[in-house]
Formats: sequence, C-alpha cells, structure tokens
Amino acid sequence: MAAILRHLGWALFGLLVAWVLFVYFPGLLARIQPNTPPGFVRIENGWVYALGGLLVVVGLIVLYAWLATLLANRRTQRKRSFWPLVGQGLTHLFMFLVLVFAYYPVLQILAASFDPRNTLYRILPPASDNLLVRARVIPDFSQLSWENYAKLFDGFILYPYQAVLLVAAALCLLLVLVLAGYRRLIGDVDSDSGLGMLQGRSLTAFALLSFTLVIFLSPAQFTGQGTEAKFVLWVRNTLFVSGITGILAVLLTATAGYAFARFNFPGRYPMLLVFIFIQMFPGFLGLVATYILISNLGLLNTFTGLVLAYSGGIISFGTWVYKGFLESISKSLEEAALIDGASKWQVFTKILMPLSAPMFVFIFLLQFVGTYSEFIVANLFLTGVDSWTVGMGLRNFTTGQFSTRWGLFAAASVLGSLPILLTFYGFQRYFVSGYTAGSVKE
Amino acid sequence: MYRSPPGARGFLIAIGLLGGALTVAALAGLLLFWALQAAFPRPVEEGYPGYLILIFGTLVLIPILVVLGRRVPYLTDWYYLLPAITFLLAFTVFPIILTIYYAFTDYTGIRNGKPDRSTETAIVRVEGRELFVEGNAHDLLRCDQPDCAGQALEITTRTQRARVRVEQASGNTITLTAPPPFAPTLVYKINEFRFIGFRNFVEIFSRAGTVLIPVLLWNIIFAAGAVVVGAIPGLILGLMLNNKNLALRGFYRTALIISWAIPVVISVQIFTAMLNVQFGPINRLLGLLGAYPIPWLTDPEWFKVSALLISLWLGFPYWMTATLGALSTIPEDVYEAAKIDGANGFQTLTGITLPLLRQPFIPLLLGSFAFNFNNFGLIYLMGPQPGVEGRPSTAQAGDILITWAYKTAFQADGGQAYGLGGAISILIFFLTVAISLINFRFTGALREVR
Repeated sequence: MAAILRHLGWALFGLLVAWVLFVYFPGLLARIQPNTPPGFVRIENGWVYALGGLLVVVGLIVLYAWLATLLANRRTQRKRSFWPLVGQGLTHLFMFLVLVFAYYPVLQILAASFDPRNTLYRILPPASDNLLVRARVIPDFSQLSWENYAKLFDGFILYPYQAVLLVAAALCLLLVLVLAGYRRLIGDVDSDSGLGMLQGRSLTAFALLSFTLVIFLSPAQFTGQGTEAKFVLWVRNTLFVSGITGILAVLLTATAGYAFARFNFPGRYPMLLVFIFIQMFPGFLGLVATYILISNLGLLNTFTGLVLAYSGGIISFGTWVYKGFLESISKSLEEAALIDGASKWQVFTKILMPLSAPMFVFIFLLQFVGTYSEFIVANLFLTGVDSWTVGMGLRNFTTGQFSTRWGLFAAASVLGSLPILLTFYGFQRYFVSGYTAGSVKE
Repeated sequence: MYRSPPGARGFLIAIGLLGGALTVAALAGLLLFWALQAAFPRPVEEGYPGYLILIFGTLVLIPILVVLGRRVPYLTDWYYLLPAITFLLAFTVFPIILTIYYAFTDYTGIRNGKPDRSTETAIVRVEGRELFVEGNAHDLLRCDQPDCAGQALEITTRTQRARVRVEQASGNTITLTAPPPFAPTLVYKINEFRFIGFRNFVEIFSRAGTVLIPVLLWNIIFAAGAVVVGAIPGLILGLMLNNKNLALRGFYRTALIISWAIPVVISVQIFTAMLNVQFGPINRLLGLLGAYPIPWLTDPEWFKVSALLISLWLGFPYWMTATLGALSTIPEDVYEAAKIDGANGFQTLTGITLPLLRQPFIPLLLGSFAFNFNNFGLIYLMGPQPGVEGRPSTAQAGDILITWAYKTAFQADGGQAYGLGGAISILIFFLTVAISLINFRFTGALREVR
C-alpha cells in the first residue's frame, strides 16, 4: 500500500514537472513581446557566446588541474588523480557565479548611490567602449560623486558635545573590531579572558554611547530643505523605537519564559497553548483596532504609542524560545540554591539571568531587526516628516511624488542598511544559534 | 513553601483572581480619569491624555497585587507571567476581538463610528429634549433618514461631550430620545457602522470562483514555491561548503549571507527597480544573451515568477546556514565507516547525508512555509500589480490572502472596507492555525511541552 502511494506520489510529481516544462513555460515565453525598446542592446543568440565563454573557463580549469597534478606527481613520485582539483576549481567557479548573483543588487544600488544623474530611467545609453556598460548591465562608474549622500546630510547641525559622543562611540566600536580581529588571530575563544571581557565592555560602552546620542538628537538640528535632509533624523527615530522595543521584548519575555520553564503550576499547558495560538492571528490585521486603542490613549504620533503597538508582536515567540533555552540548562544549581533558602526571584536574577545573556541578545536583536525594517504600522501611527522611520522614508523615495529619486533612494538604502548589516554580521553567531537552538527542537 | 490547589480548580482560581485584579484596576483607572475630568474640566480639543488611565490603573494594580500575593501565596507564580499576559491582552487579544467584531459589521473608512466634523452645526437653544438649530436640521446634519429618526449625534460644549440619539427632526428642531446631560452648543452627526451578520463572509464566498480560490491557490503555490526555490539552492550550497578541503570556505559562507542581512524593505525595492521591463539591468543582461525584454512586473504570470525569483535571492542564505548547522551535528565516524565499506561520494550523499538531514529539515520547511504563506512584505513591496480581468483592484495577479486583506482594509481603492478585511483576516487565521497544527503534528512540539 505504502509502495503504491509512493509511486503515485512520484507519478504526480512527474506530471507536475512535465506540465510546468511543456505547458506553463512555453505559455510564459509566449507572453514576451518580440520588440526592443530604444536603447536596449540585444544580441541575437548571445547565449551561445556566453555558454562558449563558460566552457572555455571550464576547459582552462581542467587544463590547470591536469598540469598542476602532473607537475606535483612528477615531483613527489606519486600517482594522484587530477579530478579532485577539477572539482575544487569548478566549485570555486560556481561560488563565484553565486556571489555575482548575490551581490549584483548590492553593486547596482552602490553604483546608483554615487551617481548624481539618476540614471535608472534614462533612455540614452552611457558612452563607453565596454559593451556591458553600454547595455547597462554593469553600472557606469564614469561620474562618481557624493552628491546624493550630501543631500541626505544637507543642513544637519551636530552640536559639539554630540560630536564628542559620536567620536567616543566610534572609538569603542573600533576597539571592539580590533579586539575581535586580534582574538581570532591568537585563537582566543574564551569570552571570560581579559581581552574578551574588554571587548564585551567596549561593546556595552558603544551601545550606551550611541543610545545617548540617539536620545539627544533633536528635530531642531535638521535645517535642510526637502524631506531627504531629514534622513539622519529618520535613522535616529528608527534606532530609538527599535532599541526600546527590543528592550521591552526582553523584559516581557524573560520572566514569562522562566515561569513556563521552571514552575509547575496548574494551567501551565493551557497558557502555553494560548500563547502559541494568539501568535497565529495575522498580527497587523488588528491594525485598525490597535489604532483605535492607541488613539483613545492619546498616544497617536508618539514613539510610545508605536512601541506599545509593536510590543505584542514578539511576546509569544520570545517566551517560547527562552523557555526552550532554560529547559536545556541543568536544574541542579537552582535546586541547591532553593534548598539553601533562596527565593524563586533570587534564583532567577542571580543564577539564570547571567547565564541567559546570549538568549536575551538573540531576542533583543530579533525584535530590533524586525522593527527596524517595519513600515506599515509606522506609516499608520506616525505623521509628519519629523517622526518618520527609515522604512517610511525609503518608501517615500520610490512611491508618490518622489518616484524618480532613485539616486537618493540608493544612498539612503546604503546608509540605512548599515546598522542592520553591522548588527547581523557582528552577532551572526547569536542569530544562527538562536534560530536553531530555541525555535526548533531537534 | 506554598502549594497551589491542583488541577482545573487551581487554574480557575488563579485566572479568576488575576482577571479580577486587572478588571478592578482598569475600572479604577477609568473612574479616576473621569473624576479628574469632572473635577478640573479642560477644553474638549485639549482634554486629558488617555494614557493617564493606564498610569492610574497601574498605580491601583500594584497594591492589589501585593495584598493578593500575601493572602494567596501560590498566585506569585503567576506574577512572572503577568507582564507578558497584560501586554498580550491589551495589544494583541483586544485588537483581535475587535477585528472579529468588525468582521460582522459594515465598518469602512466613511462609516467609522466617529463624528463627522463637516456636519458641525451650532445649537441656538435647548428646551428639554429639543435642540434648535439655524436652518433645516436634516440638511445641516445630512441624516440618512428623512426625519433623522434613530440618528446618532455628538453634542459638545467647550469642556464636555456626549453621544445622544435622535427621536425625530423636523425643520429647525431636533427631538432627542432623552434630555441632554448638559446644555450643548455644537452638534455633529456620527457616521455609525452597523452589525450586518455574515454578509461580509457571504460576499467573499459568493465571488469565491473569481477571487478567493485563485488567490488562495496562488498563495499556496507561492508559499510552497518560495520554500523550494530557497531550500534547494541553499541545500546544494551548504553541501558544497561543508567540504573541509575547500579553500575560502569561511569567506564564501560569510559573504553569501548578505541577502539575509539586508532589510527586506530595501532589498525588495531594489529588485523591483532591477526588474523594470525597459530599464532594469536584469532585462539588459538577458538582452545580451539574446532575449527580448521580459515583462517581469507588468505581466500577471511573470509577476509570479518574479516573486519566486526574489524569494530565491532572499531565502537561500537561511537554508545554506541551516544545512551547514545540521551537517555539523553529523558525526565524522559515520562517513569514515562508509568510506571503509567502499561507498563513493554519491552513495554517501544519498545514503547518509540526505536521510540524516531529513529530520532537522522537516520543521524548518514547515516553518518556512507558514512564514511565506503570510509573507506580506515581499508581495506588498513589489508595488503595483498587473491587473487581471474580473478581479477587484485589491486582489490582482500576485496578491496573496494577506495583501488582499490589507488592501481591502486600508487602501482607498478598496473602499477602506475594514469589516470585509477583518473577515478575510479570520479566514487567514484559520488557515494559519491549520498549517501550524500540521507543523506541530510533525514536530511533536506540543507533546514535548506536556
């Protein structure tokens, strides 16, 4: 029976693939209009040349592998096959192509951000000897300028004490990076070592300094004309909201996760179910209701209102993840402390909280990153350019009256994604381990 | 140590006490707020901010909790859950309940239960239940009924406001159902929404053939397709990068995470620009290879292909990382044993690696399916969609259920039909629950909790 079902499944799968290949795909191709718009470079049968070029590269790799193995074999008097080396070469070629695919949008956006001419929607092809540049496959780097970036900082006044804070924060970040690099070089993986402690301290100092800076920046410092001159203010707003939301997420989920993991009160299981199922309602479709609630509380167009609206989002998931984390820690230490007369609260604050730092970081970062790129809720709750967030600002460059300001969008995207890129690469370990350890039990 | 009453009784007592404390605190907050308003009146336009209710409520709640904790010690276990529960109740459960309620009403952008400021009318004189205005009351207030019977109104003075109902209006006289609580100076019409039962659901299902079923079908295909196009390349890359002899392995691994790290709100908008039919670099590249410009975002079918293409770019780093993580848990000696037995690379892959990856991958696949099922950001950010004949502007070629619901509820061309949007949300909720139940069944997450 099972065998029949399995064969039936494969047969269905085969039919599906056949349908996609022989019915759907030709239909798709038939939808392409065979005409070329002005400025569009089309080479008849160009793919033959491309494929030929690729085959030449493959051939070179095989040749290189063969020669290298031949020479090595002659020197060492051994008989090794050259296929593993070919495999390596082909893997590198493949990885190179994947890298091109992954970084192509990044390259385009970087190029557009340095191009003051707003070239995305220009019909005239750039004058260049390179076919790829003329076809605009590779961006035209002939006119680089900081103009787009300058517009984002136009009329921005930084007070001296803020400049001092900024420099101090930058120094702390630099110290963290240098320490991280040095520790990797000497192979120091212990976070309790002297250098590790120093790295942690300077990271904390960086976070505190930048948060102070974020708090003390005010809309009065942005005197430039046009909406784009408020970009730094948007970044500041976003960092502020995301930071507070992240901290709130940790505060709300920590005690709940502890209770679910360690206490055995009646009603624990139903409460966990409630937590899970609430999460499944498409959260932001309660938006009008949330909007009415926040407006009745008189918190519309305030960051407090926005933070409150965001706060419900991660509670269930965070509690679930933290509970899973605590259950993976042995209870013996706590039991000893409880016998010695410590209260449950003391056990939580003195024993578990220091152990849970990685999980707190994960929950904070998850909420931080999620809130940073959110724009739907923010769009509804915040009005006025002064209180926009990065997501709203970026959306405004590409829609509505700014539909052609591609260069500004590009520059703002590059700067706006930097905080998240840095966070992500800096805390990659936490993201990966948090996703795999907490949410998914293997 | 203290001990809770066992079973359902203990649970109900705890819930009852906590719920009671929260209710009492909320009511006390509201009463204090009203007392403040009555004691020190302020103009209507700049009244006391509503968050004072929250502050008063919290101030009342804390002593109640302290006293309760002394008298009923086992309740203190629940105090650890209280912050999370309160926030969930206020900012998740309450909106959900309200949304479910709206799903059975004709709530729209116009009928939003708020006073219509454009109908502001001055009241000349008040006599008992009768209000006198200058001119024809029906025309000034733009009532729905010819004699304004049953119309809800808001009456205000400088510091007070109240809602009243009209019994009837004729000429310049408005007769209310009850005398107003104070002598008002201004009156507004309230745009009421009404309870309409299952009419929103009837509307969805009566047009199921042209809207609901195609959207749902595409929603499922998109979610499944997004998982497949992300997972298969990610799996292949993970397997390739797991080769310990490969040089630059760490570099590739770190460099390829880029598309996971860029905020979606940025990357999807870059892609929509790159997929432009005439100017987009992707079409330019394909043009060099001999292709005519592909209508990526302007043709209904190609739009779907674009959505999957962007999913591929966004999704593969996650799956690559997941594969590498899962592979690192497979012990080395399994492979050594296979080598001794004379298995070649392909046999090792299909006989050992892939079967061992199945167990950790099933929950990830289902979780990713559930995420993509409601992947609002991607579809919404791809911008205006190519139209399909016979479908409303809120549910076009690439729209999935959640973007359909959002556009119905919030966009002007959907009439801001929040009631209808709420009804669609409830459908999405049931579908999500169904997916999650399957997920739990496969992963055994719930059994483990017990």
